Amino acid sequence: MGREVSESCVDNLLIEMVSSYCDRFYANKPELAARRIEAIGYQVGHQLSERYTMERPRFSDHLEAIKFICKDFWSEIFKKQIDNLKTNHRGTFVLQDNQFRWLMHMSIDPSSDGSGLSHDASGALVDNKAAQAASMRLYFPCGIIRGALTNLGIPCAVSADISNLPACSFVVRIKV
Amino acid sequence: MIVCVAVVGQQNNPLYIQSFTEADDALKLHHIVHCSLDVVDERVNNPKKSGPMLNETFLGLLYPTENYKVYGFLTNTKVKFILVTTDLDVRDADVRNFFRKFHAAYVDAVSNPFHVPGKKITSKTFAERVSNIVKSFGMGSTG
Repeated sequence: MGREVSESCVDNLLIEMVSSYCDRFYANKPELAARRIEAIGYQVGHQLSERYTMERPRFSDHLEAIKFICKDFWSEIFKKQIDNLKTNHRGTFVLQDNQFRWLMHMSIDPSSDGSGLSHDASGALVDNKAAQAASMRLYFPCGIIRGALTNLGIPCAVSADISNLPACSFVVRIKV
Repeated sequence: MIVCVAVVGQQNNPLYIQSFTEADDALKLHHIVHCSLDVVDERVNNPKKSGPMLNETFLGLLYPTENYKVYGFLTNTKVKFILVTTDLDVRDADVRNFFRKFHAAYVDAVSNPFHVPGKKITSKTFAERVSNIVKSFGMGSTG
């Protein structure tokens, strides 16, 4: 029996978690906040991968495990699959999600800052802040992917790329 | 009758081991479980021998000893489940069923946010669930 969680609750939890770590616990050390958020994601991914691989045969190679992440794992979490998977066949995989759910409902508060600046400059500032806030929220899913793959016996590093929102790509580099 | 069950982690570290006998033979049973880990490794590294069951999580009968039969199960995350039984004719379906329930109990136990991955499972709920699964072993399909 599958249990379901409201999407808005997860969204709120993620927002709250990111803002607690960035603005309260580690307000002056964004790298440390990022590391902590990533570690939470790692634990979540670690546990989920155990659960979601329960009824399936073992994976014979890396590609199979990555495909599992793209299809079944992603469907369980986001109710959709990864839209595009690219690889250089040397241990780097790029997983692209064209409508990443955890970024879809994001907005940046425009009232803060930029009041005394010229229009152009404040626009750029808001853009920059948006990118920064979005990248903070991506440490959690990066951690989930890393935790899942590590638990499946594939140590790797995962980073996110948001050059064209709301599409988002996760770059997985497998450590040899 | 099941005399011993064990969960062994990725690095062959014991996560949970429990015997179900009155006699004082826990050490012997632990030794059997320990030996079975080599068989698991052998099965995984020489997949040719296992033939069509390639990459299946259920490893089947690992090895029979004089008094016991030892079955194994290896998950995707390289966690091993070991079952030692004294029953001589055990049906594969029963064992598979047992491992499925055992694995489900394990997954629930490690999903506890207070559980540290790689550490022994100390949860009382898990121990209780496992002993219930052990008690009901072989009952479902025969009764």
